[in-house]
Amino acid sequence: MMEQALFILINVVFNVSIWLILSLSLNIEVGFANIPQFGRLAAALVGSLAVGGIIGRVAALLAGQPIDERFVENNAYAIMVINSYLSQHPLISVLLLVLALVTSVLLGALIGVATILPAVRLSEAYLGITLLSIAEVLRTFLYNYDPIIGGTRGVSVPAFLQFLNDYSTPVTLALMVLMAITSFAVAEAISRSPLGRAMRAIRDSEVAAEVYGRDVMKIKIYAVMIGSAMAALAGALYTIFTGSSYANDYSRFTWTFLPWAYIMLGGVGNNVGVSLAVIVMSVLRSFIQIYKHELASHLFNIDPSWLEYIIIGLIIILITLFRPQGMLPEKPVFTLPRRRIEEIRKRVLEEKESS
Amino acid sequence: MSIVMLLSAITYASILAIGCASITLLYTSTRVFNFAHASMVSWGFYLTFIFYNLFGGSPYTYMVPASIIVGLFGVLTYLLVLRKLIRSKASEITLMMVTLGVDFVFFGFLNILIDYFWYNYKWSIKTVNIVPRDPLLGVISGAPITAVNVVAPLTAIAILMALHVFLSRTSLGMAMRASIENPVLAAITGINVDKIYVLAWFIGGVLAGLSGSLLTMYTQGYSAIGLDYAVLYFAGSIVGGLYSILGGLLGGVLVGFSERLLTYYLSFYISGIYAFRFAIPLAMLIATLIIYPKGLAGLVERR
Repeated sequence: MMEQALFILINVVFNVSIWLILSLSLNIEVGFANIPQFGRLAAALVGSLAVGGIIGRVAALLAGQPIDERFVENNAYAIMVINSYLSQHPLISVLLLVLALVTSVLLGALIGVATILPAVRLSEAYLGITLLSIAEVLRTFLYNYDPIIGGTRGVSVPAFLQFLNDYSTPVTLALMVLMAITSFAVAEAISRSPLGRAMRAIRDSEVAAEVYGRDVMKIKIYAVMIGSAMAALAGALYTIFTGSSYANDYSRFTWTFLPWAYIMLGGVGNNVGVSLAVIVMSVLRSFIQIYKHELASHLFNIDPSWLEYIIIGLIIILITLFRPQGMLPEKPVFTLPRRRIEEIRKRVLEEKESS
Repeated sequence: MSIVMLLSAITYASILAIGCASITLLYTSTRVFNFAHASMVSWGFYLTFIFYNLFGGSPYTYMVPASIIVGLFGVLTYLLVLRKLIRSKASEITLMMVTLGVDFVFFGFLNILIDYFWYNYKWSIKTVNIVPRDPLLGVISGAPITAVNVVAPLTAIAILMALHVFLSRTSLGMAMRASIENPVLAAITGINVDKIYVLAWFIGGVLAGLSGSLLTMYTQGYSAIGLDYAVLYFAGSIVGGLYSILGGLLGGVLVGFSERLLTYYLSFYISGIYAFRFAIPLAMLIATLIIYPKGLAGLVERR
């Protein structure tokens, strides 16, 4: 009983934190800047690649394992050697873990810019389909091209926190929760910042924003860069927790369309609403996944994962038809009160004079 | 150049073109980029197989009922979901998203249907392969010609002719063109735009179903076959420009041909390229959009 409860808890925390980061990242692009990002999985996949393909090889170098095609071919053995090396060097393990997260974020930002640059001038449907196609090309490529992350076989990822023994899972989960909270803070900070307000201005009227001297293209690129960096973090954390990097894990349904459904349910443009929707739906999904067989016996042997599709589909349809603003509608974002701004201005001026 | 390869490419291009025409028709008429296309194709694919398994005979006879059923799905989608949104002038992205929801619902029900036959009748239905049962029509210089090699191109040509005659010779077709060009003006002249949209969604559904139905004889597949091919359909219709149905057909042909033939030619120089064949049409799509942001139809558009 206890074990079952623990299993559910781990599953729920895992699902909530990964999809919270993803949905918030999508909310920055879709909710703030109105970019139809149907290629969310690209950034997440690159985040996974950063951990499995790059940091995995760095670890292999440190542990004296080959990093060429033999790394992929004898992956199980190489990872075993790396893990026994890492369990004796806690400091290096932690450094590698941090490095993995940083690399994934940087690489995510890079892929975001690379995908949006050729497409940024396109209008709605064209842009959406182009982003979707680029993501599909990337996934198909990584699935069929062995040397990077093992293609159809995938690669295992070093267990960075193995030196903690029994505590490695809870610590990894805690790290994921921490990252999710940080992502929420970042998304909120962007929402309140001048950049966030500029994004909303572009969303509401591109022409008006341009008239007021905003560089629309630049701000759109920023939005995709930030969003993709966050999504890559989600991909990296997923890879670290599941212990393997495999291109076909990053399907269109779970990594692009689910976050879309969540932000529509929660309220496009509202971080709090999106988070609420992610928590509710991820808990529901975790339970459907865990109690699949028990549910099926009550449902004339229908696989509940099909019901999951129907439920998600109906949520998207009903929300769009009857409550397009979502569970929590977007509220106007307030800047600092006038008095505070005056104070800051005075202080800055004084500092200038004194220096 | 082997004849087998060419025939296969023509067949494949025709099947894609029919599906691309569906996406283009729905986009020009109702501004909806139909994500539900994926599952509509899957439904066409599976309905053909299920009818064939239930009643026997030639699978080609079930092209008609299968595509009409999918056409009715299209009508339902329009009436229950899209009409309200189109009337309230929802944005393109909203319309796309809502058809994605429709896609999930269709996909879920299709899989439930598949499970039903799988549990109760023990059919091997999870993956469908009736390609070997396609009748052989003849052999040209050692290349076997199966029925689908003839039926698919003929269907594509027939659809092209039928759409052309329908849009340019019949009053209903002209009403449809008028509603596409300028819905407000069309409504003022007494055209029931709503009925035209229903018709557009019916034809769109029929074309998607037909494309899926033809795939049954061309390749093996499972319930997500539409999802796997969706990106190619999208690529074809965008390369075609999304604004003319003829453009959609052309784009589909171009994408289908380039995927098959370019892969074939490149395989002499680059080993293992077959696995990456999906990347070719998508690279084409991206290149087209960068050079002609409105697609190929922008080149041939008459104004």
